[in-house]
Amino acid sequence: MNPLGLLKLIARNGRFAEPAPPAPAEDPALHLPNSLRGSVQVRHVDTGSCNGCEIEVGAAFGGVYDVERYGARLVASPRHADVLAVTGVVTHNMVEPLLRTVEATPQPRVVIAIGDCARDCGLFAGAYGVAGSVSDIVDVDLTVPGCPPHPAAIVAALRQVTGR
Amino acid sequence: MTAVGGLLTVLMLTGIALVLALVTPDRHRSLASGGTSMGIGIAGIFTGVAAITSPPKVALVIPIAVPGGLGLDPLVLSPTPLGGVFCIVVGAVGAVAALYGIGYAHGPAASRTGWSAFALFLLGMLIVPSAGDVVSFLLGWETMAVASTVLVLSDHAERPAVRPAAAWYAVMTHLSFLTLATGFALLASKAHSTTFARIADAGITGPTGIAAFLLLLTGFATKAGLVPLHVWLPRAHPEAPSHVSAVMSAAMVKMGVYGIILLTSSWLPAVSRPFAVLVLALGVLSGSYGILQASITSDLKRLLAYSTTENVGLAVTAVGVGMLLSNAGQPEVASIAFLAALLLVVSHAAFKTVLFLGAGTILKATGERDLDRLGGLARTHPVTAWTFGLAAMGASALPITSGFVAEWTLLQAVVHGDGRANTMLALALPVTLGLLALTIGLGLLTFVKAFGMAFLARPRSDAAASPSPEFTSRPGTAAMGVAQVLGALSVWGLGLAAGPIATAFSSVLGYSGMVTSEMGGLRLVTIGVLDPVALGLLAVGLALPVGLLVLVLRRRVPRRATDLAWGCGGVRTSPRMEYTATSYAEPLVRVFGEALRPSRSLEVSQLGDDRVLESRVAFAQELTDIVEDRWYAPAARWLRIVGDQARRIQNGSIHRYLGFSFAALVLVLVVVTLP
Repeated sequence: MNPLGLLKLIARNGRFAEPAPPAPAEDPALHLPNSLRGSVQVRHVDTGSCNGCEIEVGAAFGGVYDVERYGARLVASPRHADVLAVTGVVTHNMVEPLLRTVEATPQPRVVIAIGDCARDCGLFAGAYGVAGSVSDIVDVDLTVPGCPPHPAAIVAALRQVTGR
Repeated sequence: MTAVGGLLTVLMLTGIALVLALVTPDRHRSLASGGTSMGIGIAGIFTGVAAITSPPKVALVIPIAVPGGLGLDPLVLSPTPLGGVFCIVVGAVGAVAALYGIGYAHGPAASRTGWSAFALFLLGMLIVPSAGDVVSFLLGWETMAVASTVLVLSDHAERPAVRPAAAWYAVMTHLSFLTLATGFALLASKAHSTTFARIADAGITGPTGIAAFLLLLTGFATKAGLVPLHVWLPRAHPEAPSHVSAVMSAAMVKMGVYGIILLTSSWLPAVSRPFAVLVLALGVLSGSYGILQASITSDLKRLLAYSTTENVGLAVTAVGVGMLLSNAGQPEVASIAFLAALLLVVSHAAFKTVLFLGAGTILKATGERDLDRLGGLARTHPVTAWTFGLAAMGASALPITSGFVAEWTLLQAVVHGDGRANTMLALALPVTLGLLALTIGLGLLTFVKAFGMAFLARPRSDAAASPSPEFTSRPGTAAMGVAQVLGALSVWGLGLAAGPIATAFSSVLGYSGMVTSEMGGLRLVTIGVLDPVALGLLAVGLALPVGLLVLVLRRRVPRRATDLAWGCGGVRTSPRMEYTATSYAEPLVRVFGEALRPSRSLEVSQLGDDRVLESRVAFAQELTDIVEDRWYAPAARWLRIVGDQARRIQNGSIHRYLGFSFAALVLVLVVVTLP
């Protein structure tokens, strides 16, 4: 697309992001690290999800819910990340990679379990390939309920961390 | 000490070393013989220094009487200043290698035979540059050749590859002796004397001179390992014990260079004049071919051996350039080229000793000399890593090392030669310059590979990961370390004290005034100035701010843990994924494939009947020496056929032998009765 066409498209569409809800109140019970306020880098880990949560995470980072305006950004490696967004039940094959990923994320870090499966195995509880929920394997700081959770809920959880 | 006194000390110490090697019990033999051999080396250094500072007025003259009244001249041992330089090289390399050998030699290399041969090897190499006549020269030459063959054979019981290597070496070195003896015989018969002084005075020319020149050049080129006579070198050097490889590579091949310098400057200057281009071509070809082979091989000692061919090639290139320039009436620049030849010899001796000793330590600690299976040794062997690194810098001609000074001087001579003098020069100088640039560039690549693959990254095999415990606990390890450090310091020192050394060498060559020393730096009159001290200051000036910044940052920011590259959660980063010596050289093999002709095989096994899934992929690459394949293999086949034919004459039949005896008797009677 030529630059002029791009400018025309921007002019025609204007802003289509949802209006920003008020910033969430700080919850001291969560013990979120202060040093991550303002801006965080997020690494998404799929430990055995049905891809429903992935679609919602994608929507949260898309143009409509646009969590980037609150300071959260997706990155491609846990070495660059502050926040791990984990979706899905933890299958046997993903236990080791999840542990390695958490270990590779520098401190201070925040682990968010997104979706009912990540919280308590949801629909898949007791299935033969499931090792457990995320909190069975690693320490979880925040959870986002829902099957799948609404993008606004994911945005709200990340805003808890960034404080914006 | 005078030079003759030094020589007498060398002879005496060799006698002591032989006795000690024979009588000392196994446990103390390495210490006793190694220590005495070190003494031989140090006496050699003194001899050389004495020969340079006060050329001997007296000579060691040993009259010889041969039955039959041949009337040979006596043996004359009296090193010239030029010989003195080579005495110093041999002495220093021998002393350091003997010190290393105290800790390193084991098994057959530390046996009675091993240490006796080592002492005789040093003696032979000290006699060659001291010799003032043909017979003592050849005696020294043969002592050197035989003793080194015995040393190459040291490990023949353990590794079968040693035997063909020693056979190649013995054949090539004796072919060299044969051509030398024939060439000298021609010279001596023309000059009616065997002393070098009389041969030089005779001013031999004509067909005899040309024949003698070509024979002697072939002999010396074989010893120097010049292409295409280098085939023994990449076989014998890797198979010999490392302290012997060091002496062979750093000192012995230099005798060939010494011979070529004497041949062209003293014995047959008039005859050699038209052959300047031949000498230059030999040198340039050896330089580029040697380093090309070195850059693609993954065997560390084979790499060092080919690099020897390269460096000797550079020294001979310098001689060739000097000859061409003096033919063209440019003696000033020619003298710089000859100076470069000596500097190259000395600098190569310094760094190649350290490199071979380092390879010895690696071999001892891991049992591996294949770079594809080494790695990470800097952590377990810091001394070897630092000394090998410094020597590798010398070999790649980086500043503040001896190699830089030498190659800088050579390039100065090539650049400042005036090509307008004649067509030959106008053609030869740019081509030489281009090939030198290729050689030096590939040299840098080769030693980045050698150092990087051996010492950096993660160990590529279990052997490299866990050095053998019996090695680290051996008492002699300290001697090995000291020898390596001494060698590395000399690489550095020769680079820093370029001026005084070059001045001394130019007076050795009889060109005093062409070169002056400035604050330790080197000034080639009317050509250029090299100031290693200024270079050093520049390096410090550049490194100081960076170093300070690193220190400040380290204090501010707490030290962070480092880990392997992120493998996406799986165990994906194994040492097998690392760059290897073979993969590093792959682009070169591709570019120079036509010249190198590597044989490669790729074998893919499918999973069952599946056409897509593969269970196993095997890649093998074998690098061969094209000279060996194309020239030597057919020659060897032909010789075998001739040998088989000759066997018919000697078939074990007593009747035939009696017939031969009778025929011989008849022949003798006929000859005797002839008027």
